[in-house]
Parts: sequence; structure tokens; C-alpha cells
Amino acid sequence: MSLLKQRILIISIIIMGILAVGFFGLRAVRAARHIRDGGYGPGNPPLPPNETDVELIRDWMTLPYIARTYGAPDRMLFKELKIPDEGNREKSLKELNDKYFPEQAGFVLDEVKKAINDHRPPTPPTVPVP
Amino acid sequence: MSDFLLTQIINYGAPILGAIVFIGAMGAPFPGTLIVIAAGAFSKQGILSWYTTGFVALVCVVLGDSLSYGMGYYARERILRRFQNSERWAQAEASFNRWGGMSVFWTRFLITGIAVPVNLIAGTSNFRFQRFFLYDLLGESIWIFGYGGLGYLFGTQWEVVSDVLSNMSGLTLGFVILAIGVWLGIRQLKKNSAAASSG
Repeated sequence: MSLLKQRILIISIIIMGILAVGFFGLRAVRAARHIRDGGYGPGNPPLPPNETDVELIRDWMTLPYIARTYGAPDRMLFKELKIPDEGNREKSLKELNDKYFPEQAGFVLDEVKKAINDHRPPTPPTVPVP
Repeated sequence: MSDFLLTQIINYGAPILGAIVFIGAMGAPFPGTLIVIAAGAFSKQGILSWYTTGFVALVCVVLGDSLSYGMGYYARERILRRFQNSERWAQAEASFNRWGGMSVFWTRFLITGIAVPVNLIAGTSNFRFQRFFLYDLLGESIWIFGYGGLGYLFGTQWEVVSDVLSNMSGLTLGFVILAIGVWLGIRQLKKNSAAASSG
């Protein structure tokens, strides 16, 4: 390999390294800040027995999985969506959406979030401390 | 891809996780770390049993790594024919035999992006299988139980920890590339100055 080619190769490797360090470094810092500011992690108050934040529901989840995670009956979720549970228990929300509501993107996800929120018992009013 | 794999894990459990890490260990571009962290979170939710899942995943990933080591081992003949009597090849082989254990160990959980090439090089460079297996088992145990444990601790919020770890892996790989570039640069400069002083 000629000296010029060797130099180009070394400089390219260094530039690739700098770019990778910069790119992943920034992303890692942002993700770490997200953990720190979001109050996540083992040092923070324990999670409730059943998850309550519906914003954590994702398209890849199945209805039985969501029902179990959020402490809601899965039949209620199928009933809300007006779809049969037979043959659909192992389908993700995205697959259900594509099968039953192809013209309404994100419909199943939104309906499931709404159903979970509606199913929750009302939060007791806070009593002011005397 | 990740979404499809996550759905399969909540439906079929440990066997599908084992299949994913096995195929991933042989070079398929699966998001292994994300899947392992998610599996830890699913264990906390009672969807998977942590010890069965951990054991199945560990056995499968070590099997996959051993198989890709084997692929390198059986490709050795062909590579040796190409580089026969090459001094550089002998140097590369000696250097892998010296540092290979650590390379195998660290690439199991920290620089996972180059784990498969390291398996192939280990097989090709005649690195002893017993040593490879030992370092592989240690590294993969950290990957499965350490990363899975983080998923378990973070529960349904596992996505945030997965984000940090995948970026840390990329960051480490960036530092390794940078260090190699700087090392090559310094070596080149030394060679040049030695040539200039002798000439």
C-alpha cells in the first residue's frame, strides 16, 4: 500500500471514530438525562402493582398482555374494539388495526388507551392535611 | 423488526427468545440487547420465568457463538491457502492469541456490534476453543443476566435503559475505532521519522 493510501486510511478511521463518539455520546447523554429527569430507575419509588401510564402502551403489544400489565380484563378490551378474541389473542395492536381498521391508522392503539383509562377506578379525592 | 420480535416473545416466551439470540449470535442483525432487556422486564411482570428464560437464552447464545467460531475454524483452511507463509497473518494470529480472550469477553456485552466478526476471527486464527468457550460464557452471562437484570429493575420502563445501553455500546465502539486510528497514526509517524533519520 502506498504511503498516501495509508494516510488516507488512517485519517478515515480517525474521522469515523470521532463521528461515532460524537453521535453515540450525544445520544447516550440525552438518554441518561431522560432517566435522571424522568424519575426512572431502582432508586426511585417502586412502580405501582399495575402499570398506570397508558402512554407506555405500544403497537407491538397484544391485548392479553396489555390486560395483564394494566390489571384490566382482556374480554373488556376485545368488547370495546368490537372484535372477536378467537384468533386475535396473539396479534399485536398493529396487526389488529391492519386487519379490522385498515383505513384508520392508530385507531386500535387509541381505543385501547381510552378503554384502560375508562376502566380505572376513580382516584379518591385528596384530603387536606390540617 | 424489534416490534415483531417483542410480540413473539410475549406470545411464545423463552423458546422464541432462545431462537432469536441463537440466530443473532450467528450474524443475523437482530436487536439482541433490546430483546434481552425487554425479556428482563417481562420476567418482572410474570410473563416469563426469569431463571428458565435466562438459562435458555444463555445456552442458545453460547451455542450460536460456538457455531460461528466453528464457521471460522472450518474456513481456516481456505484462508491459510490464501495467506500461506504470510508474515502479517502470523502476526495477526499471534496477536489474537494474546488478546483474544479479552476481545471475546468485552464484545459479548459492551461492543456487541463486532461480536460475530470476533467469533469468526477466533475460529480462523486457531484460538483454543476451550478458552473461547470460557470467555464467551462469562461475557454472555453478563449480557443475559446483567442486562436482563436491568430490564427487571426498570420494569415497564425498560425502553429508557435500552436506549442508554445501545448508545453506550456505539460510544465504546467509536472509542475503539478512534484508538485504532490514533495507534496506526502514531506507528506511521514513528516509521516515517525512523526512515528519515536513517536516510
